[in-house]
Amino acid sequence: MQKLVSSLRDGVGFDLLLVGAAMVFLVALAGLPLLYNILMSFQQVDMFTLGTFVRPFVGFANYVAVITQPEFWLVTRNTFVFVIASIAGQFTLGFALALFFTLRFPGGATIRGLFLVSWVMPGLVVGAIWSWILAGDFGVLNAILTRLGIIDANIFWKSDPAVSLWAVIIANIWLGLAFNMLLLSVGLASIPRDLYEAAELDGANAPQRFWTITLPMMRSTIGAVLSLGLIGTLQQFDLFPAITEGGPANSSTVAQFWAWQMSFKLYDFARGATVSVLMLLLVLVASIVYVHSTRNEVRG
Amino acid sequence: MKLIKLGLLAGVATGLFAMPAMAQVTLKIWSIDGANSPGVSDTLSKEFDDANDDITVDYRIVPFDDLVNEALRAFATGQAPDIISVDNPDFAMFSSRGAFLDITDRVKNSSVIKTDAYFAGPLNSVTWDGKLFGLPKYTDTIALFYNKDLFKKAGIAEPPKTWDELLADARKLNDPANKVYGITFSARAGEEGTFQFLPWIQMSGGSFKDVNGPGAVHALEVWKTMIDEKLASQDVLSLGQWDSTGTFNSGNAAMAISGPWELNRMSTDAKFDWGVALLPTETEGGTRSSALGGFNYGIFSSTKHPDEAFRALEYFVSQDNRLFPEFSSLPARGDIALPETGVALKDAALKVFQEQLKYAQPRGPHPDWQKISKAIYDAMQAALTGQMSPKDALDQAQATITGIAG
Repeated sequence: MQKLVSSLRDGVGFDLLLVGAAMVFLVALAGLPLLYNILMSFQQVDMFTLGTFVRPFVGFANYVAVITQPEFWLVTRNTFVFVIASIAGQFTLGFALALFFTLRFPGGATIRGLFLVSWVMPGLVVGAIWSWILAGDFGVLNAILTRLGIIDANIFWKSDPAVSLWAVIIANIWLGLAFNMLLLSVGLASIPRDLYEAAELDGANAPQRFWTITLPMMRSTIGAVLSLGLIGTLQQFDLFPAITEGGPANSSTVAQFWAWQMSFKLYDFARGATVSVLMLLLVLVASIVYVHSTRNEVRG
Repeated sequence: MKLIKLGLLAGVATGLFAMPAMAQVTLKIWSIDGANSPGVSDTLSKEFDDANDDITVDYRIVPFDDLVNEALRAFATGQAPDIISVDNPDFAMFSSRGAFLDITDRVKNSSVIKTDAYFAGPLNSVTWDGKLFGLPKYTDTIALFYNKDLFKKAGIAEPPKTWDELLADARKLNDPANKVYGITFSARAGEEGTFQFLPWIQMSGGSFKDVNGPGAVHALEVWKTMIDEKLASQDVLSLGQWDSTGTFNSGNAAMAISGPWELNRMSTDAKFDWGVALLPTETEGGTRSSALGGFNYGIFSSTKHPDEAFRALEYFVSQDNRLFPEFSSLPARGDIALPETGVALKDAALKVFQEQLKYAQPRGPHPDWQKISKAIYDAMQAALTGQMSPKDALDQAQATITGIAG
């Protein structure tokens, strides 16, 4: 007894207690809903069985129904385009900005701080602002592009299936840019200066220093940023209802919006759950990459 | 306050006649009204509460976007309110599964409620399988607004009566140099899109179960022509009715398809002479139709106080004559004359909407209405954006709808 108490106060027992508390939270708040979601995707759900766990089992019927929907492949393609383009844009622009702000110049720190404004704002607000900017007849972006002579006729960003998804991607890149820049800045700051100085003495030019020092030293940071970007982008929902509502003709519908639409607009909770289980597989891959990249973290 | 009053009453009653104290019944009522300004349900619920000492009303405002989800969850867990007011296309989801109380007989015996006073459309939306599961609360519909000044300038004497005239007029009125489109409407990816397009299918002889007839294809072709020839902004694909009609009010569109909820704003915002006409039909004198908006009351079948709940409904219905003057909502019945508002344009417009309401048809009623609706607006958008031909798009919608509605 004495031993147990002392172990709990200062020993393995204490460690287990802390881990246990965290596990309880994780299981209760993330694990159970997840399992419930998976369970639901194999059941027939309607208004009378919404409040219970025991419902008619339908096997893979929901999965078949989701995959045979006419818009399934369009939504899949949109999801990949949205994720890849958003991450590519956020990452390259974020990296460029992070590198830019490593050059010390007056006001640099303040300006970098101001970039965070985009990240602090709620997605719905960002969506509403971009919705006005991207409006077809009286939008700011079209006005600017017309004045600059880049376009002759207005582009209907929200209503043209060729560009509607890109309208959301532009807004999403803007939204996630600051977050990427911040994480990459931290990574850059942790690279020891003397490495660069030594390389410079040996006659390495700027591109060489970037490819042989910055990138390899940033490997784990980049891995983390990319996987966090993937997770963040797959979670991005607010911009869709605010800008295009998935239209026109589903041309900007992505999986997460589709899942929400099925559950809370069409009241088909089982299929909504099915889409989110399919998405879960995607996020799982991202999480594995993320865990892997942080495990091999190297600090110089 | 009420409790004290009741306590006093009970005390007096027991003292004088040794009468058993009345049991206090609590009615739970849910609606979207009263969030920003006094609405129909919050006001009438309070009045009913005050007027009945044996009944306490527990009124709850539920935001529109959460209403059906909250109600479904509450019903599934046995927490449903006694009375709810829901949007009419959502009504059948509840009534068809027996979640609402069958009030056919109660209405028949009621001295307050007369079903034959109601317009056919609203009444149809609360009916399932020949039985009455609720009552229309208020209603609205859509018609054609037109800018009389622009019509005069273009030399057009009267509003279009047929689809061909609508196209011809839109071409004459279209004036890109001055940023004026011929017409505006809403072809949004959502319920509003179906709300606006379904009447055209119905005018051509189709219905929500029959969307790919030649008439429906013709209707979609007319819409597509308006987009392709830029007689309407391509942004009608993403604009809701309120924003779409905003461009009409600012003089950037010569015609607009929308409903009576626009009248107050238009009376102050529109700096020109305007009027309202019935929706143009496919051919001269052809079948009329329009969309049916508005909310319905339903009593949940799980209620423990059906008698009191029905009394509340009777009270609400008895106040229908106040709907328009106090809440700017149109009664769903033809036996209530709307009082003059004093604004000439508005009064003239209301007469047209009253007339249009006679032809308004509910969306559904069908328990899976939302899925049917999505099939319709998906097809409409696929055709308008040129991804599919109108015929192919509507064929695909028909296949989906047949799978749902049989």
